[in-house]
Amino acid sequence: MEDVHEVPRKRIATAHLAQHIGKPVCFVGRVEKIHPTGKFLVLSDGEGKHTTVELSEPLDEEISGVLEVVGRVTNQATIMCMSYVQFREDKSPFDLELYNEALKIIHEFPEYFPFG
Amino acid sequence: QRIRSQNIVPCTVSQLLAAEQVDETFRIRDVEISQVTIMGIIRHAEKAPTNILYKVDDMTAAPMDVRQWVDTDEAGGENAVVPPGTYVKVAGHLRSFQNKKSLVAFKIMPLENMNEFTTHILEIVNAHMILRKNLMSASRAPQSFSSAGIGDMGGYGGGGSLPVNGLTAHQSQVLNLIKNCPVPEGMSLQELKHQLQNMSMSTIKQAVEFLSSEGHIYSTVDDDHYKSTDAE
Repeated sequence: MEDVHEVPRKRIATAHLAQHIGKPVCFVGRVEKIHPTGKFLVLSDGEGKHTTVELSEPLDEEISGVLEVVGRVTNQATIMCMSYVQFREDKSPFDLELYNEALKIIHEFPEYFPFG
Repeated sequence: QRIRSQNIVPCTVSQLLAAEQVDETFRIRDVEISQVTIMGIIRHAEKAPTNILYKVDDMTAAPMDVRQWVDTDEAGGENAVVPPGTYVKVAGHLRSFQNKKSLVAFKIMPLENMNEFTTHILEIVNAHMILRKNLMSASRAPQSFSSAGIGDMGGYGGGGSLPVNGLTAHQSQVLNLIKNCPVPEGMSLQELKHQLQNMSMSTIKQAVEFLSSEGHIYSTVDDDHYKSTDAE
């Protein structure tokens, strides 16, 4: 299985999961819930819609705030996470709604923001 | 005709990888680029005596090689290695060696506010759209963009305030029409008004005055007719 970090990963929101089953994606969302096992997270996107993220390794620490998840969309329209980073919000909060608007624009103009 | 961008153009890694090289210049869909900015996360950092090699990932392709030359006289400070996992803005020049693209960075700055990343995404679409529109013949009917929030792109009518090669969108359109006019006495102001439906005569005259004072065009038979100084 190819390393998902070496291929284009389209930036998507929850509404786009169904159209990207099996594809490598990049999802940005705010942590809403962490499963007691630490293996699953629920993130909300800029429209408030929830996505379930399955981690390849369970979390060993509490995590909160905005995460950027890289992974593949499963048949159940969840994301199998290969890696994630936390967006820093120590100086300014991240405007997730604005990011969602930006997603709409880059999806509308793929000729000016190509993935791959 | 070349539209040379003397500004720094925000790009995706995928755009840089797709850029075509002709002699010493790179073009992204016919728009010439040299200095660019990208924003992404550092996946890898390798320090060598004279340079630091980073791999910067913006999700649009595989991570790109970014090389930063180190001032060997300077101790620490400027040239501290930025750790992997950090989101950065990179400003640099595009290079290609043995068919592999890379950037030579003159500035690498960690992002302190991640909203800058959202802005960068929007600026990429905006910049490439405007650069592309400036290349097209202005006599084409203006396209209307759906109101996705960018609003009037300024390529036709409106503000047109993003300067490319030192010219605004209005000035570029007027210059392109004048350049492409085959008639010996050049293009008349009336003809320009006829072709540029969305521009007022006073806007056209202002553009002509500016272009003339900068030496891009010159008047021919009278003050209403202009030719381009750029030899075809």
